[in-house]
Amino acid sequence: MLLSMENITKAYGPVKANTDIGFTLNKGEIHALVGENGAGKTTLMRILYGMEKPTSGTIRIRGVEQHFATPADAIKSGIGMVHQHFMLFPSFTVAENIVIGREPRSGMGFNRKAAIAEVEALSRQYGMPVDPRKKTSACSLGVQQRVEILKVLHQGADIIILDEPTGVLTPLEVKELLVAIKRLAAQGKSFIIISHKLQEIMDVADRITVLRDGRVTGVVEAKDTDVEQISRLMVGRDLVDMPRTAPEPGEAVLEVKSLTVPGDKGKPLVNEVSFGVRSGEIVGIAGISGNGQSELIGAISGLVDIGSGQVLLAGKDVTGTPVRKIRELGLAHIPEDRYQWGAAKDATVVENGVMGHARREQRYGMLRGRSIRSMVEDWVKRFEIKTGSLDTKAQFLSGGNLQKLIVARELAQGTPFLIAAEPTRGVDVGAMEIIHGELIKKRNEKGAILLVSSELTEILKLSDRILVINEGRIVGELSAEEATEERISLLMAGGKQA
Amino acid sequence: MNSKLTQFAGALVQPIVAVLLALLIGALAIFLVGGSVMETYAEMWKGAFGSFYFVTNTLSRATPIILVGLGTALAFRAGFFNLGAEGQMILGGLCAAITALYVPGPGWYKLVLALISGIVAGGIWSAFAGWMDAKFRMNLLITTLLLNYIASLFAGYLVAYPLKDTTGSAAMAQTKMIDQSAWLPKLFQGMSLHAGFLIALAGAILLFLFMKYTVSGYETRMLGNNPLFAAYGGVQRGKLMFYSMLASGGFAGLAGAVEVLGTQYRYLDGSLSTPGYAWSGIMATLLAGSHPLGTAFAALLLAALQTGGMGVERNTEVPLEIASVIQATLILFVSAKLSYSFLKRRKARAQSGTIS
Repeated sequence: MLLSMENITKAYGPVKANTDIGFTLNKGEIHALVGENGAGKTTLMRILYGMEKPTSGTIRIRGVEQHFATPADAIKSGIGMVHQHFMLFPSFTVAENIVIGREPRSGMGFNRKAAIAEVEALSRQYGMPVDPRKKTSACSLGVQQRVEILKVLHQGADIIILDEPTGVLTPLEVKELLVAIKRLAAQGKSFIIISHKLQEIMDVADRITVLRDGRVTGVVEAKDTDVEQISRLMVGRDLVDMPRTAPEPGEAVLEVKSLTVPGDKGKPLVNEVSFGVRSGEIVGIAGISGNGQSELIGAISGLVDIGSGQVLLAGKDVTGTPVRKIRELGLAHIPEDRYQWGAAKDATVVENGVMGHARREQRYGMLRGRSIRSMVEDWVKRFEIKTGSLDTKAQFLSGGNLQKLIVARELAQGTPFLIAAEPTRGVDVGAMEIIHGELIKKRNEKGAILLVSSELTEILKLSDRILVINEGRIVGELSAEEATEERISLLMAGGKQA
Repeated sequence: MNSKLTQFAGALVQPIVAVLLALLIGALAIFLVGGSVMETYAEMWKGAFGSFYFVTNTLSRATPIILVGLGTALAFRAGFFNLGAEGQMILGGLCAAITALYVPGPGWYKLVLALISGIVAGGIWSAFAGWMDAKFRMNLLITTLLLNYIASLFAGYLVAYPLKDTTGSAAMAQTKMIDQSAWLPKLFQGMSLHAGFLIALAGAILLFLFMKYTVSGYETRMLGNNPLFAAYGGVQRGKLMFYSMLASGGFAGLAGAVEVLGTQYRYLDGSLSTPGYAWSGIMATLLAGSHPLGTAFAALLLAALQTGGMGVERNTEVPLEIASVIQATLILFVSAKLSYSFLKRRKARAQSGTIS
């Protein structure tokens, strides 16, 4: 056995993040670690990587007990970690990023040639093609990930921890990554993968350890299990899908006509886009992130300047109207990036919850404190938001819980139209179920929803109609019946409609 | 409630530690110049709070500092830098003096108008910087700072030439003396403390209530917290920026007006800038993390340090500058708090970033 973690317990004061966890890893094994937000996966990996000390328990590598004080110790023992957010210097070349910390030298200087040669050899050995001379900022996210993995390999890692490795990748890049992981495993490297995406886990992992509330709830062989069993172990109960009825679309709530948003380099970011969303339907916009979705949402909600074209909300022209006015006319908006747009980290749960409601919840310009608190308290109960109190700062909420707060806030605006952009990004299955259920409920209550998501399963599960966006253009429209993952993927990648 | 109390206590720990450390460094400085540490600090305490006279003296010095601090705090809370308090204060004081001198009518009427004109003058000067930011993307940090020079030199010119007091024998660059009927009343017979102090206290409480309980206060705080979040939620940045800069400058202008109408009774060139009220006010804001009530308290502390320093100079061999040393180290330790909390936040972010 390559690695074994025995009876690991980590307590932060009275709170136990890990309780008596056992975890093992064999040579050449791909072992997935799954669990909801706050289940203790990250804490466990931080302990393994020397970033945290366990309160009790032992770590053995090849049978030898280890005590890691810093990540440097862990790296020396052959452990490498690729973080969810890449830690690369964008202005340095690929080779420079890979050899950093153990650069080949020539006298006092940095031997760039040797570095490039080393990286080329490494890249050949493990079958992960990169251009060592290219600037990292010019590489796609998929290549940047490869650079991260090569960096870890260059450090001599035998155990590689991947934290949410596919979060930012395109479907094609995900496939390549999974192939690369399997190849490396066949060459004797061992992987620990933390992920939310159960389907990918099932594809790539040999073994799966499930955590819930800091305890192991199951260790299963991937070939003996299925996604349903894993979800059950993660959530502790069966997940029920909200039953979906056939759509009964009413009149148009949102109309977008030949909308164009100019870009910096002459090429428009949103190019002559036209579509509509009617009441009682969910229209999904599928696409690889960065194909104009953010700008389209911005243009509709008044945050981005429109080049030409028209946006009508409930029959009124809202082109170039200030955000406040558009919101008053009937827009609510779950933003794609909850930290950038959706919340203020230093503000409390209540303060984050009252945004957009403040103008209603007032008397003579004074906030109606009591009614606001009871409103937010109600959301916390209904959406099972885990928070210390209503006065906890948003930065102390986990991503999933903050997302639930934002979803609750926007649904409570009670508007006829809702933009839901990546509504479940980085959110665990339990929270996803709640959010999806609420979106379908709003649609059944005659709401019009524009769903923007780079998650195909989400698009397919929720949408009544699907538009595919590629390089700022709508390149195809499919009804829920005719849409399949393959057809959408092909359109997303810029192929012709089959 | 309990958690709120501990939170409040927690917020106090850092400033108190900063004060203690600053006093420690001050002790070292006193020791180096050859003074007796205990004696010097005793004189400092006496100079600030030693008798009723000195207490009122300290409060009177704190008055403009509190008002300036409140204005700066408001701008900081909204996410804007207003380093132009000095210029806004000077224009406020000058306009108050001119109004009180040249507007006809009964004394109370002149006084009220003079206070208002001070607020308006300071407000407009500050909003002007805001306008340049909105219109020409000129950095507020730079504009507010540089407008100080224009205001101070312009006021200096006015009182050196067209408005110069030629009645008295002293050939000073100053306006004529304001009629006694338009003075801010003294709170105690024979003491320097005047009604401006009450205005400053009321301002602190009002600003606190405004920030905490009103819709506009909420929007202002969110704008300072995360401008993108505010924009997304429909907060109108341009409008809020204009009003918060206007109010911020208004406070500074009021500080100038109060000082002219309560202490100087005329606009004397340099009388508002030499004591460094504006910069002390900005420091008070930094010390208190832009909390309105905390700012008032910090202003009081700084004023006490300054009046205490004067006491030290009067009664010992240790120079007045020792107070400045303490004040400067105080600010350094408070900025250490800023970077400390910044580090903590980065750590927290790194953690939440890897939580999956």
